[in-house]
Amino acid sequence: MATSKIDDPRVIEFDVRTDEMLINMGPQHPSTHGVLRLVLRSDGEVVSDVEPHLGYLHRCAEKIGENLTARQWIPYTDRMDYLAAMNMNLGWSLVIEKLIEYDLPERGRHLRVIISEMGRIASHLVAMGTYGLDLGSFTPFLYGFRERERILNLFEEVCGARLTYSYLTPGGATADLPSGWTDKCREFLTQFKEVIPELHTLLTTNSIFVSRTAGIGVMSARMAIDYGCTGPVLRGSGVYHDLRFHGEERYTEMYDGYVFDVICADPETGKYPESNYEFHGDKLDYPEIPRQAILGDCWHRFYVRMLEVVQSVRLIEQAIEKYEATSGDWGKPIKLIQKLPAKEAYMETEAPRGQMGFYVVGNGDSIPWRVRARSSSFCNLSVTAPLCQGILLADIPAIVGSLDVVMGEIDR
Amino acid sequence: MDLIAVAWPYWHQFFFVLFAATAIGFGFGVLLSKNVVRMAFYLVLSLGSTAGLFFLAGAEFVGAMQLMIYVGGTMVLLIFGVMLTAQKDFINMDTHTQDWILATIVGGSLLMVLLFGAFGSEDWKTPQDITDAEVQATKEATPLGLALTGIRVDTLGESTDAVAEGKSGYLMPFIIVSIHLLVVLIGAAYMARTKKLSHATDDKSSRAKLMLFKMEHEEEQLEEEQYVVTHRAKSALNPLDSENED
Amino acid sequence: MADFIDYLFGIDDSWFSYLVAALVAAVLILHVVAVGALLFIWMERKISGRIQDRLGPTRVGGKFGWLQTLADGIKLIAKEDITPDLADRFLFKIAPYIGLAASYAAFIALPFADGVVGQHLNTAVFFVLAVLGLEVFSVILAGYASGSKWSLFGAMREAAQVVSYEVPLGMCVVVPVMICGTMNLTTIANMQSGFFTNWLVFNDPFTFLTAIIYFTCATAGVNRAPFDLAEAESELVAGFHTEYSGLRWSLFFMAEYSSMFIVSALASILFFGGPHGPIPIADILGLLPTENLGSGSAQAFNENADGFFAAMNVQVMIARVLGVGNLILKGVIGVTLMMWIRWSFPRLRIDQVMTMCLKYCVPLAAIGFIGATAWQYLDLPTGNALVDAPRYEHHEMWTDGLSKNESDVEAEAEAVESVEEVQTPHANDKVTDASSVTVKTVPVSVEKGGDQ
Repeated sequence: MATSKIDDPRVIEFDVRTDEMLINMGPQHPSTHGVLRLVLRSDGEVVSDVEPHLGYLHRCAEKIGENLTARQWIPYTDRMDYLAAMNMNLGWSLVIEKLIEYDLPERGRHLRVIISEMGRIASHLVAMGTYGLDLGSFTPFLYGFRERERILNLFEEVCGARLTYSYLTPGGATADLPSGWTDKCREFLTQFKEVIPELHTLLTTNSIFVSRTAGIGVMSARMAIDYGCTGPVLRGSGVYHDLRFHGEERYTEMYDGYVFDVICADPETGKYPESNYEFHGDKLDYPEIPRQAILGDCWHRFYVRMLEVVQSVRLIEQAIEKYEATSGDWGKPIKLIQKLPAKEAYMETEAPRGQMGFYVVGNGDSIPWRVRARSSSFCNLSVTAPLCQGILLADIPAIVGSLDVVMGEIDR
Repeated sequence: MDLIAVAWPYWHQFFFVLFAATAIGFGFGVLLSKNVVRMAFYLVLSLGSTAGLFFLAGAEFVGAMQLMIYVGGTMVLLIFGVMLTAQKDFINMDTHTQDWILATIVGGSLLMVLLFGAFGSEDWKTPQDITDAEVQATKEATPLGLALTGIRVDTLGESTDAVAEGKSGYLMPFIIVSIHLLVVLIGAAYMARTKKLSHATDDKSSRAKLMLFKMEHEEEQLEEEQYVVTHRAKSALNPLDSENED
Repeated sequence: MADFIDYLFGIDDSWFSYLVAALVAAVLILHVVAVGALLFIWMERKISGRIQDRLGPTRVGGKFGWLQTLADGIKLIAKEDITPDLADRFLFKIAPYIGLAASYAAFIALPFADGVVGQHLNTAVFFVLAVLGLEVFSVILAGYASGSKWSLFGAMREAAQVVSYEVPLGMCVVVPVMICGTMNLTTIANMQSGFFTNWLVFNDPFTFLTAIIYFTCATAGVNRAPFDLAEAESELVAGFHTEYSGLRWSLFFMAEYSSMFIVSALASILFFGGPHGPIPIADILGLLPTENLGSGSAQAFNENADGFFAAMNVQVMIARVLGVGNLILKGVIGVTLMMWIRWSFPRLRIDQVMTMCLKYCVPLAAIGFIGATAWQYLDLPTGNALVDAPRYEHHEMWTDGLSKNESDVEAEAEAVESVEEVQTPHANDKVTDASSVTVKTVPVSVEKGGDQ
């Protein structure tokens, strides 16, 4: 909370009186991504302080989790990050599996890679599209949703739902992939690869977009770490950290045998890693980094997401092959009333928005004694206040949008 | 048909009365209104009606000028009004009796100067011999418009020496009005000025003050932190805690 | 028109005929505004739909959803007209009408074809700009009167933006005015008749530059994306019209769309030949020979009844309909371009909008202006042949005495020529060289730009 400046004994001078305004941005505001409420202190267009207020979407999900069995809580995880519900399911499943020391069959492992990476693409497409909306460009949103719809169609075939899937569960998944699904998935990937350059043209390389995002909301690597930022927000600041590489073994072993890059600029050179991935028949060609862009600004955060989508495509392509090569059990769900040992388990996974951690304490009953979630968006949002000082009003959507927060995950 | 043709004297007479009435009416509106923004709005309407008079007289250029400069200028006034009157005490301006008296004296003397300037030039005192028929036939007031911009239209045929000698049409009254507006603007800015915190802390004394200020408030902050620490509830029920104690 | 009605009823200079004439013109223009808004909103939906890979409206009115806007209009009329508690009720209610009135009034001086114009004005260019500039009032008043901080933000942004962009806009408009030597839109359009190479945009490289700058500034001036900061929905909810609903809200949109059309139409008249198509079909078919027009088309239409009947033959009518079609088509193309831009680009920030105006548009407009001036002065080859085009001047009585003092022999000679060409409406008038009027007006309008 910004302290009152009335008794501030700084130099007093005469000036034309323009009022400082205290403005409520949200919770009903088109660009606060749900029900985020920002209280702005502004002098004309210049915003001096921003204070985020939370809690408008609080649904006691964690407390509910302490009254349900592990599998019953899966639908509640769907409603946390509702744009990447598959990855939420995965996080909870993994932590329960860690608690009960369950080992997933190999087919299920590849299935999970396919599904979670598809979820990542779907989520990043929304992030990309809504970021366009935040900056006043409507078309990328529709383009993003067109591709997302294709993914949702595939998800619908898998589990019958388009938003809240409850598909991945502790023990594996509720069902195996339907026959012929992988071919459709391949078809989607080929189509999607053709669309990515379009999206780059619409936003990444658009000069107005660059001028709106490059050099805005610059966050140093130090600051990103201090505030506990994770995911693309952290990597956008040049911190080489991705739980798919650096996470717990139980999580990283899911990606054993996969080849992909962590998208993160080298802080020394400012260059992104050279990829040897064949994309579109040619070697993957990143759009050039604009001159104005500074490592850690809004543009880099956006760019990291755009490139991560390509890496997800790459992972899915490999995963489909591996999935088809293996046969047998995909990992049947655990029992609905599976007893949880009196231990604690905590695990973080790399969700699209950052590290999503779940914490569970069992007490021998099938209902966990304690359930907590560590939200990536929550930590990412915490940098809003320091980043939004002395900026213009129009930069607030640009900065908040680049953090890509989902209020369902923050408030839980 | 004759009735239609004769019943009303002239159609532009009607519009002249209309525009003149709106101009004067909204002029009084400016005087009597208490809200700054409404004043500016009435002023816009008054000036717009004046532009209408110019158009009616066929002086399109002067009319468009009137719209562009005066109405556009009032827009800036309006913006100032909006920006400066965000505070409650400025939204409604109550005028006291002494203000009225003072304003009448100042405004009246300015009006006197204005009238004197307007009727001062010899050639304009006596109306020229223009028949009604001629006035009707031309329907134009370009000479008037030119006179307002400082050209002696009545002496155009002779030479331009008159302009050089300073007898330049209505320019003088025009400038008086402009100065009047300027005075009003300065007055508005003066009324609206305030003590404002400066963010420039370059000189040493203010820096010292700033440091003192921070030091004073440091204790408060520490107290706050302390409060949070002491009041945080310890979770005694946690089985893991009890495990550790055992 | 009034003279025609006088003639029809056998009356002389009656208020009745003026009233009828004014009403006819007003109703026709109202149709351009209202039907135009209907069409443009439908177009906007269709175009944005196609750009975004979707269909847009498809159902209302049978195919293509062409009645969608009308249906929405009925819905808007039926909606409750809400005035917020904190609003200044009087100003809040009157603000939308001011905006609509301003953009409606600008149509008065806009010639749709030679002679198809609400009111002939010698200073039509200036008039249109001045009246369009008043539209910003409605935004400021709406923003202030709404009693909402977002509305206030929108109003302040709009004010800053429009006031700044009027400077380069005015400078761009001066270029065609200077080349043609008149501020009369009909004359400017007529001077570009013939093949499209005669358009002023192809006059010289500087006019080409000016045309581009004009369009940019016009887009900013009518508050369209990427300059639509006053209603930036991602920042200001809906900007100045946040608190409006129902009919009043739709009036803002009618004003916006009609001013979009009017700046496009102005662009087409100033730079792209106006009612004269890329190929002069009317000329090729022989619809516009001099004998059809009487002597000097525009005043024949406007000034007296005989002239009106002289111009009332079918061939000239067809030519005028073609002209009106041409101008509307060009205006619609301009509006489509604005829509295309809107749905493709992100929005600029307020400081970037200002930078663009002051650092790029103003200097470029100045370069265009100076360059075009130099081009004319040095008499370099131009892409068009403006000299032969017919001129229409609504001349003033006082210039009678002035022309005798002109020392310029050429001007005298031209004046004599034009006496032969142009039929004078009043017996005591004498036509003089137009340049003596326009040379005066040009610097004045430049100063005007500088003032603001």
